[in-house]
Amino acid sequence: MNLSVEIGGLRLKNPVLTASGTFGYGEEYAEFVDLSALGAIVTKGLSLTPREGNPPPRIVETPAGMLNAIGLQNIGVERFIEEKLPFLKQFDVPVIANFFGDSVDEFVGAAERLSRAAGIAGLEMNISCPNKQAGWLVFGTDPRVTFEVVSAVRKVTDLPLIVKLSPNVTDIALMARAAEDAGADAVSLINTVTGMAIDIKTRRPKLANITGGLSGPAIRPIGVRMVWEVFRAVGVPVIGSGGIMNGEDAIEYMLAGASAVAVGTANFVTPTATTDIIAGIRDYMTANGIRDISSIKGGLLWQREDL
Amino acid sequence: MSRFFQAEVTGNILLSQTHNILRITPLKPHPSPSPGQFYLLRVSETMDPLLRRPLSILRWDESSLEFLIRLKGRGTLLLRNMPPGGCIDLLGPLGNGYPSAGDGETPILVAGGVGIASVYPLIGRLGTDPILFYGAASSGDLCLLDDIRAVTSNLYLSTDDGSMGSRGNTVERLAAFLDETSVPKPVVYACGPEGMTSALLRMLRERGIPGYVSLEERMACGVGACLGCVVETSGGYRRVCKEGPVFRARELGF
Repeated sequence: MNLSVEIGGLRLKNPVLTASGTFGYGEEYAEFVDLSALGAIVTKGLSLTPREGNPPPRIVETPAGMLNAIGLQNIGVERFIEEKLPFLKQFDVPVIANFFGDSVDEFVGAAERLSRAAGIAGLEMNISCPNKQAGWLVFGTDPRVTFEVVSAVRKVTDLPLIVKLSPNVTDIALMARAAEDAGADAVSLINTVTGMAIDIKTRRPKLANITGGLSGPAIRPIGVRMVWEVFRAVGVPVIGSGGIMNGEDAIEYMLAGASAVAVGTANFVTPTATTDIIAGIRDYMTANGIRDISSIKGGLLWQREDL
Repeated sequence: MSRFFQAEVTGNILLSQTHNILRITPLKPHPSPSPGQFYLLRVSETMDPLLRRPLSILRWDESSLEFLIRLKGRGTLLLRNMPPGGCIDLLGPLGNGYPSAGDGETPILVAGGVGIASVYPLIGRLGTDPILFYGAASSGDLCLLDDIRAVTSNLYLSTDDGSMGSRGNTVERLAAFLDETSVPKPVVYACGPEGMTSALLRMLRERGIPGYVSLEERMACGVGACLGCVVETSGGYRRVCKEGPVFRARELGF
């Protein structure tokens, strides 16, 4: 049985990654999960300088999901490299550093610094956080700006470069093509869907940030649809995410066109979710006589007339 | 021994219309908690409600754990209705818990409402006959009084409606006590609703009394990964699940 997949030149032993922001810097889950058993660890989003994040309350539960507005709190690339990376290096698992910036220069600066650190196998650039100010939004919603920022980062790194896309756009395939044209080795989607919840007694927003990003099983159909759209629009591999809770959900994303999947909110519900999902994928392969997981990628059966 | 484990529900005692005690027996050896720590309980096997619920550890022995639950929403309703014999999974013990009292210090325990669950394990562990201030909205919200009286006679009850103990809030009751009593090196251990906590922090600051306060915040992962449960402290945002839930009073409400 072959579970290994290739993402932009990176060979992963299985197609299960952690979604940025849901697995900390890896160490938080090491007592529950054998980190070496994962396809890759995608870190909490990193910026050139540390970020405080948004005021609390930062999360609220919603039907079959949750809203968050963490605000990209992180310790910054320098401290990550010094304090967190040595721990991760002990494990036989590729570390993908997720990063962001408030300007093209900051994206480039973070990418440069991370590319110089030994022990980072790939980069994922976050151009799609919904909890940032309006100016920031254009990185993930205007294809010309996406092209510009990805091109700039591409010039300064030889590491496999994944671009994480926002679902908060009219045409995600257009955004994926912009990233691919700019030199991305892969795209990952979806980030959270912008949402909002109100306490009707106090008439106050339930999040201090007012709006937040919706994640969890509630958004899975959106993610699956967008992966399918992007899969047909680009040649680079697609990493699918959005509400994957078990092996069957992961298979659904792969049938839509995902080469690999990222597990996020499920980690909060079940700390062993990632390895449980790997086991679930194996079970599906055994039950269906599948030898190579890549063979089901984009295996959705449909006809032109279905459209 | 894993902090993520399955357990059988071995008891569910309804104390009142709003409170119950859930008793569970882990199926495998599990790490022992300390006072002030908490667990995340999965309330449903379905995806809705999605997140685990954080609950302070009330009582424990080698074979079982007990949680005091106040009915508040969907999650606590499921925990109230959980039948004995069923299975539940837990994550914990989590967080830091309360430190011990120093030499010559007089611990004063303060509990508001279901905050008694967090403070309760301290009653038998912080010296003999410890001082406990315990307040709630009404007499029906005061739980475990027989058990508490069995351990300490220094119990000061108050209710907002005056249906039991003195009428008024716990912090005012404590302030009056401190005015009329000479307490050597008092140190406060407290858990209660937001209103009580902020009044208490103000009072402690004014009087220069040290203390430890357990906080509650909406929580997802419980292990420090999601950064969802932060509170503002003098040192910046801190995670309730990891650096807390117990914070030094002087770090808070600055």
